[in-house]
Amino acid sequence: MSEKSFSDVEFGEDLPTFEPDTSLANVTKFAMAAKMFNNRFTDHEAARKQGLPGAIVPGIMSQAILVAMVHRWASNATLEKIDTIFRAPVLVDMPHAVSGVVTDMDEEEQRIEIDLTLENAEGETRVLGTATVRLS
Amino acid sequence: MILDLHAHSIKSDDGRAKVENYCQWIRRKELPIDGFVLTEHRLFDFDSDYQPLADEFDLCILKGSEVETDYGHVLVFGVSQELMDALDFTSIRLPLARVLEETERHDAIAVPCHPGRTRVGMCAHVEERGIVPGVRIIELYNGGSRGREDAAAHLLAEENGYQGIGGSDAHIVSHIGRCATRFPGPVDGEASLVEALRSLDFEAVTWK
Amino acid sequence: MEIDELKKDWLNLDFDEDEFEVEADQIVDFATASGETTPRFVDPSDPDFQAPPTFVTRFHNRLLLPEEFPRIGLPLDAGKAVFHKRPIRPGSKLVGRSHLHDIYEKTGRSGRMIFLVSRMELYDEGVLASIVDSRMVIREVPTE
Repeated sequence: MSEKSFSDVEFGEDLPTFEPDTSLANVTKFAMAAKMFNNRFTDHEAARKQGLPGAIVPGIMSQAILVAMVHRWASNATLEKIDTIFRAPVLVDMPHAVSGVVTDMDEEEQRIEIDLTLENAEGETRVLGTATVRLS
Repeated sequence: MILDLHAHSIKSDDGRAKVENYCQWIRRKELPIDGFVLTEHRLFDFDSDYQPLADEFDLCILKGSEVETDYGHVLVFGVSQELMDALDFTSIRLPLARVLEETERHDAIAVPCHPGRTRVGMCAHVEERGIVPGVRIIELYNGGSRGREDAAAHLLAEENGYQGIGGSDAHIVSHIGRCATRFPGPVDGEASLVEALRSLDFEAVTWK
Repeated sequence: MEIDELKKDWLNLDFDEDEFEVEADQIVDFATASGETTPRFVDPSDPDFQAPPTFVTRFHNRLLLPEEFPRIGLPLDAGKAVFHKRPIRPGSKLVGRSHLHDIYEKTGRSGRMIFLVSRMELYDEGVLASIVDSRMVIREVPTE
């Protein structure tokens, strides 16, 4: 974890990636904190009964994971905006990887734009988005 | 010359990329493409002039559209006001046969895209209702399609003798150039692109 | 269902308002479960302790859509945008007001889809602290 200034950042720079914890126990902890009591997030069997391949990670958890990646990259980053598109379900207990890359640097406004993706082990994009941050 | 024939900018409702950032990305990452075509969803962007950006980055930036038909989504190259008067680009139920007919009539060309995807691609519709005469080219490689979806596109092309293009279908900057189309000669404008596509002398390429 | 009609009848009208309390332990659980490691989000003793910017997505008004909104299908979560305006700290009582911000249609993998963007503006002591846009998609059931 480190602080960054605008001049430390380069266009095209990759953010350090990490493997998010999508275990049932951790997703359940998130779901409880977010007051999401639908058992499609916390019970594989119940999710299958709802027509899903298994329990799924709430979209807002995927989004929060992407934000965490930004803060792991620059702990002083102030997020101004994040816009995520949930393309396909993120399955609980399956490995996923997040990635981020700097795609715009507005020197005048000192704003940085980052492309964000969350992919499954097959390399399929499940969630994608963009974030706008300032480094203070 | 290699062009990514399928990209979206912030002009599309779900596009998050600025055109300038596509250009910067291509140059900074040294992507092996010479330009791209902005195929905004259900519209044609008459207003934007990308020539200054094209000059600055030495890239070919062209404009097209992605319309929605009863056989899935279709890229349209060579869009003119006359074509837009003839077809309601905002409709999500354009008959593919009509899109093919009107594009032919207005010196444009229609290319069904991501055919392997359910509903938004033509494979499933062909299976249900048969082929639509007049299709000559489909998108073989789409940057957003899964492996089996591209495979379905290849099968459709093989069975029907279609030629194929490639496009990234980028909605964010870092996805530009994942797939593209290689032309043997230069393409320097929308009319020249239509001509090059009509010649059927090109090849779909992918770096997915 | 005509989109222009829906827009005319439903856009930009506040349809719900609720109050939400922000609690420290919920901030910590939300943050740690999503992989945050920065002290200001995970350590209540940090002098700058605050909620991660998307913490506000956990707040829902009673109503997903206006009460009289046509029942055209089950809305599914298609995406979320958060516009973070100022830090939200434990003990805050946020007031969330919701309205439909946009309505549009397109065809997707499962047929015609209607997109509804419900916007919740969250105020902390009368000052706008965050905006959450929830994009919902309703898949039209084929009638043939």
